[in-house]
Amino acid sequence: MKCKECDMENIDGALFCEECGAKLDMMEPLQDTAVETGNGSQLVLTSRDGSKLDIPAKDEVVIGRDDPVSEVFPDLDLTDLGGMDSGVSRKHAIIHRTGAEYTIEDLESTNGTYVNKKRIQPHVPQAIKAGDELRFGKLALAVQAA
Amino acid sequence: MANELNIRCIMNKDALPVTGAEQAVYALVDIKAGGKKAFGAMPANFGLVLDRSGSMDGEKMNNLKEAVGYVVDHLGDGDLVSVTIFDDQVETLIPNQPAKNREAIKAALAKVIPRGGTQISDGLRAGLAEVKKGHSPERVNRVLLLTDGQTWDDEDACLRLAEEAGKQGVAITSIGIGEEWNEKLLLQIAEKSLGNSHWIQNPIAILDAFRQEVEGMQSVAASNLKVTARMSQGVKPVRVFSTIPMISDVSRKAVRGVNVIADLGTLDGKKGQAVLIEATAPAQKAGKFRLGQVEITYDVPSQNIRGQSIKTDMFVTFTADAAVAAKVNAEVMNLVEKVSAFKLQTRALSEAEAGNIAAATQKLQAAATVLLNLGEDDLAKAAEREILTLKKTGTLSAAGTKKLEYGTRKLTQALTEAMK
Repeated sequence: MKCKECDMENIDGALFCEECGAKLDMMEPLQDTAVETGNGSQLVLTSRDGSKLDIPAKDEVVIGRDDPVSEVFPDLDLTDLGGMDSGVSRKHAIIHRTGAEYTIEDLESTNGTYVNKKRIQPHVPQAIKAGDELRFGKLALAVQAA
Repeated sequence: MANELNIRCIMNKDALPVTGAEQAVYALVDIKAGGKKAFGAMPANFGLVLDRSGSMDGEKMNNLKEAVGYVVDHLGDGDLVSVTIFDDQVETLIPNQPAKNREAIKAALAKVIPRGGTQISDGLRAGLAEVKKGHSPERVNRVLLLTDGQTWDDEDACLRLAEEAGKQGVAITSIGIGEEWNEKLLLQIAEKSLGNSHWIQNPIAILDAFRQEVEGMQSVAASNLKVTARMSQGVKPVRVFSTIPMISDVSRKAVRGVNVIADLGTLDGKKGQAVLIEATAPAQKAGKFRLGQVEITYDVPSQNIRGQSIKTDMFVTFTADAAVAAKVNAEVMNLVEKVSAFKLQTRALSEAEAGNIAAATQKLQAAATVLLNLGEDDLAKAAEREILTLKKTGTLSAAGTKKLEYGTRKLTQALTEAMK
């Protein structure tokens, strides 16, 4: 299997290039998998292994990590995607939906919310669209059209 | 019967494509303390080996004294402690004894005045001799070595001592303060003895490192932990990495022909252990294929359990369905990506050391890209800064090297959310 980045020949099945570390498998980088969304269409979040998380059809969707002890149950729970180890806060961020427009707002999370690798300011909503990459702490999710 | 430990063996893919050729497979062997079975904490036999060279004067020594105070306050009366201090001479300040003489230990330490140079091996040898006096398989036998300087031409002696300590079940946690010490040596001391290593930039963080060490010793759930993987015919192990408390390439010792045998020392009951095995699988027809069997063996001395063993099989299915074979396990992939960043960093540093600027730059660039993908912005920036430093000066900076060496090894540490 030849690495597209550096042409190094790697053994079939290798996940990352031994020479340059580029991802070798058939999976495309997160940004490339997204499709442009039309007006009013629903967005989903996709993790790197391909699991899809629907964004519930609500005006405000809190993203975070279930914590029965402090009785925090966000609308979108990232625990199963390794949210705990990746530093996802219990109430990490909120997605606002106005018609076909989506914005994301960081809720003073400990390890930050990132849009396309840039950390966003807490409580300053930022527009997101299909094709963007979101990161909660170290957990990356791609925004895609449903 | 409930086991003291739980083992999970996860492959990077449940299904591999039928290709007619050999292909790479990755197995994550994840070991955790069994949830319900209670462990009696093992008493500690803890040796502190501390640098009192002239450069330790001031804030470093003050923080160190405070941290040792914390250690003796938090060890139990049944724990053993010893304190060895070294510059170019060695003094056994507190011979191996029960930790209950807290005030006397603190008073002895209060009198220490920094002086002289740094000769780590003499200090380590004397400190290990103290730990040996209280050595017992019933205890967590551990040495904490702290230094802020380059040792005087005795690196090989240090490594021999570390190797010997590891064989006797004494793990060494090495801590470097500031920037003027040899990270390669301290990391090797930790790896050879199955210990841990930390880089402390600010003396104020000494206390936190000592606190972590005490907590780590108090949460040891099992000792003599060993992973053995017996591969099926045609399956070849290529490399093996242990990943807790830091990523460490254990291939040289662990890959033994067609089998893997990795000694892992003690198991931290809170953090567990995860071993990554990279192997090649032979060409197969469609169907289920047993790659091999993984066995872990361990002791739980507090429950009089010795040589306990748990086995599990490693299976994959070969399939002609490309869509099924494309599905990758996210947990394994994430770990493989972290190990990939670690490998690139390691190669970048050795290329730089050999004076191969172009190759080192290329590897650093590749490491920076992987680190960005992992969400490690700080480390990625550090790698990019080192590319510039390399261009300007032909060498890497002391701080940058340490940041990359320690940062990529500790990519497996979980981010913990600060309590609000």
